[in-house]
Amino acid sequence: MPTSRSSSGAAVWAVLRKECVSEWRTRYGLNSALLFAVTSLAAVSFAIGRLGDRADVLAGLLWIVLLFASLASLAHAFVREVEGKTLTMLRLVAPPTAIALGKLLFNLLFLVVIELVTVPLFLILMGAPPPRWAPFLTLLALGSIGLAVAATVIGAVISQTRGRGALFAGTAFPLLLPIVAAAVSGTRAQWTGAPMDSELRLLAAYAAALLAVSLVLYDHLWED
Amino acid sequence: MIARVLLLLWIAGWIVAGFFWAPLVPVLGETTRVLYLHIPAAWITMLALGWSMVHSLLYLRRRKLEHDDHAAGAAEIGILFCIAATASGSLWAKAMWGSYWNWDPRETSIFFLLLIYAAYLAVRSAIDQDERRARLSAIYSAAAFVAAPFLMFVVPRIYFSLHPDPIINSRGKIDMDPRIRVVFFALLLGFTALFFWLLSLRVRVARLERRGLAAQGGAS
Repeated sequence: MPTSRSSSGAAVWAVLRKECVSEWRTRYGLNSALLFAVTSLAAVSFAIGRLGDRADVLAGLLWIVLLFASLASLAHAFVREVEGKTLTMLRLVAPPTAIALGKLLFNLLFLVVIELVTVPLFLILMGAPPPRWAPFLTLLALGSIGLAVAATVIGAVISQTRGRGALFAGTAFPLLLPIVAAAVSGTRAQWTGAPMDSELRLLAAYAAALLAVSLVLYDHLWED
Repeated sequence: MIARVLLLLWIAGWIVAGFFWAPLVPVLGETTRVLYLHIPAAWITMLALGWSMVHSLLYLRRRKLEHDDHAAGAAEIGILFCIAATASGSLWAKAMWGSYWNWDPRETSIFFLLLIYAAYLAVRSAIDQDERRARLSAIYSAAAFVAAPFLMFVVPRIYFSLHPDPIINSRGKIDMDPRIRVVFFALLLGFTALFFWLLSLRVRVARLERRGLAAQGGAS
């Protein structure tokens, strides 16, 4: 049915716009996430100092900072609806898959903003050698998509539990582990000049597989 | 009743056989015997996780709480075997490799399984209502189902390509002494039966609990 498909596309877009507007009104989520990312970055930099010649350590630290930032902030999109008691209204006007996809895109956008601040700051503070930009940005993009996909599906589940935010980090971590492992090894490879096709393929395949499965799962998300 | 006693005797008997009948492997020495407990535990770890995940998917499809009982029971028993496999593997690593933990590919994947089990049970413990718990934990389980093959098989291959583990590789199962092989497979069978017996108990308890709650709700 072409009409329902185009209308669900419109619904995804509407949810994304609504997320951006409501985030922009307070900027509470963004501010706390940025603050958190910069704080963890400062803590790492302060504790370790400049590490220009250690690509292996740098790659690990970069992704730990990004992982922490996303763990601290990406559950927000769903938890906010539950805490503000706006979820019921949202469910009345949009199908679950559209809601989830809209929030996924919002989470992705959110991550990009965080990375725009964190990554340059990281490269400068840690005295990192200049990365090979094309593979480095591809890695960041694929890694962010994976983080956003995994965090969105877990956030959707977690927002309906008693622990909510508290449970998010622990339950999201197993799903984020393959992404972090591949991204770290890929980032290290782009600094040392080693080939990194397998890491890129792994990141892309994992994000695609998880997205495909989560699209099916979102139908089961709300029933009561 | 008879079956349970037979199972007890079977497992106990073959453990004794592992100590007094089967020979030791030259390089491994006394640590050979860890394989009778460690490999069955690791196998049940994977079996239970697979069982749990398949029943989670079945629950999403059929919406019968019976499937959720199986998923939960398998996870609860599986995490015990996972801890046993991790601990016995770690002790063996200390004896053979000189350190309890060094992120060998196999250590990575068992650690990952432990995380999934723990997270799955944490999700379950945070939801009160039966149907909702079943549905949400099944969704979590299905998502983890995607991650599992990546961390079990793909990541160790690219991530630790410089760190082969010669001891495990050189000790391929084909080289196993026939007597060791007999004891090993007998115990594998025994522990698998033990798992299914425990699982059936767990499922029955869950069913009775639900019936008891329903009766209470009806009475009050």
